[in-house]
Amino acid sequence: MCSITKEAVFDAISTVIDPEVGFNLVEMGLIYDAIIDEDCNVHVIMTLSTQGCPLHQMITTWVKEAVERIEDVGEVEVEVVWEPAWNISMAHDNVKQALGGM
Amino acid sequence: MKAISSDFAPPLKLISPFFSYGVVFYLLSMLALLFFEPTFSYAQMNVAGWIHLFLLGFVMMIIFGAMAQLIPVVLEAGHAVVDVYYVIFPLLLVGASLMVFGFWLMPAILPYGGLLVLVAMIIFAVENIATLKKTTIRTLTIDTVAWSNGYLLLGILTGFAIALGLSGNFGINVSLMLKAHVYAVIGGYVVLTIMGLSLILIPMFSLAHGFEETAINRAFKLVITGVGIVFAGALFTQEWFMYIGYAVNMLGIFFYIWQIYIIAKLTVRKEMDIWAKSMIFAFGALILSIVLGLVYFMSGKESILHASVWFLLLGFISSMITGHLYKIVPFLVWFERFAPLVGKEKVPMLHEMYSKEGASMMFWFTASGVVLGGLGLLFENGILFKGGASFLFAGAIFLFVTMRKMLAYGK
Repeated sequence: MCSITKEAVFDAISTVIDPEVGFNLVEMGLIYDAIIDEDCNVHVIMTLSTQGCPLHQMITTWVKEAVERIEDVGEVEVEVVWEPAWNISMAHDNVKQALGGM
Repeated sequence: MKAISSDFAPPLKLISPFFSYGVVFYLLSMLALLFFEPTFSYAQMNVAGWIHLFLLGFVMMIIFGAMAQLIPVVLEAGHAVVDVYYVIFPLLLVGASLMVFGFWLMPAILPYGGLLVLVAMIIFAVENIATLKKTTIRTLTIDTVAWSNGYLLLGILTGFAIALGLSGNFGINVSLMLKAHVYAVIGGYVVLTIMGLSLILIPMFSLAHGFEETAINRAFKLVITGVGIVFAGALFTQEWFMYIGYAVNMLGIFFYIWQIYIIAKLTVRKEMDIWAKSMIFAFGALILSIVLGLVYFMSGKESILHASVWFLLLGFISSMITGHLYKIVPFLVWFERFAPLVGKEKVPMLHEMYSKEGASMMFWFTASGVVLGGLGLLFENGILFKGGASFLFAGAIFLFVTMRKMLAYGK
């Protein structure tokens, strides 16, 4: 039985910051889900704020590396999806406020 | 959508000279403005020299550098041969300098400068077309890239014919060829490229999502058609045909502005940084330029045409470019010097990589200079025009200094 929780995965990903906006990916609402199986393999489902972002590959690599730093984690896979498309309502209130959306 | 591989990104040392020297050309072209009067004719050689200093030295240089980085993003494919940019840069640098020198002092060297620029642009266009063939996606933005490159080739070929004509080596109707050249380069390449890039960059930086693209699709088609009509009309001396082209272009620009309005309504990011201010100013200047253009067609007054072109070149095109420099250059520097350090040590945010005060001074001096200079041209008032030129030069110094600091950040 794996002891890694979804919260631990989200905490790890929250160390990854979008250098353009200045917020971490979890606050931005870009991480949709983290599926953890019995062998502690983690499947992260995320999106990006813009399709065609030049940092696309780097951001997914940073997410993978951040999750891999969790103790006893197995294989880590990051899947980028475009449905549902990201929008500002998915972001935390501090992000909305900082970007002027509130 | 596939991942944009970091392998597709060209190295900073390949792109940074385009930005560094582009800004130097901008500084020189603003300095040169101090020596012009608000009354002039487009047939004057020194005016043609300034236009080439600004368009070839600044606008084209920066666009080429930006395209080296953005083409893989738009096409989702790596460059066919990215190393050709090492050849394009010196050819464009020397060619543009020779052309400006030729227009100002020695027309006999114009064909040599023109030839170097022609070779640089052919390499650029051919590499772009080869890269286009690698992509598996098909969108109107990509078709527009192909069309703009086609117009670039037409523009530079007519430009080279003019250079031969001016140096006395080729018997052509220069004034006729000039219109075809100007429309192919400015309308067909610069405006189409800016429209295409802004459709990618403006939603990206403003975090606008889920907007309809019907208006921009119409805008692309109309501008592509309009430029073709004006080009053909100029080439075959059919002025009535050119008027149809002007109208079609105008309609295309209207749809472009409409698309930007749609995007602006959905913008999530409301902070008024240097980029946002520059975009607002640029589109304000574009609308003013169109209004003045329409007034010119009704009145035929030359000073109104001069003011319209001024707001298009220095208000719209220039502000679009300088505003985006404060997003693109920090990103390129960050990508090269700091991205590998993520997770290992604290890295700066992009907005921390330039002086906000310096950028703000650049913006306010430039915006004031554009407005004053435009009024100087409109009323043919030397004091207003020189005042505007002085403000623009001061703004250019701030741009030059902030750009140097951005490029040197973390070195």
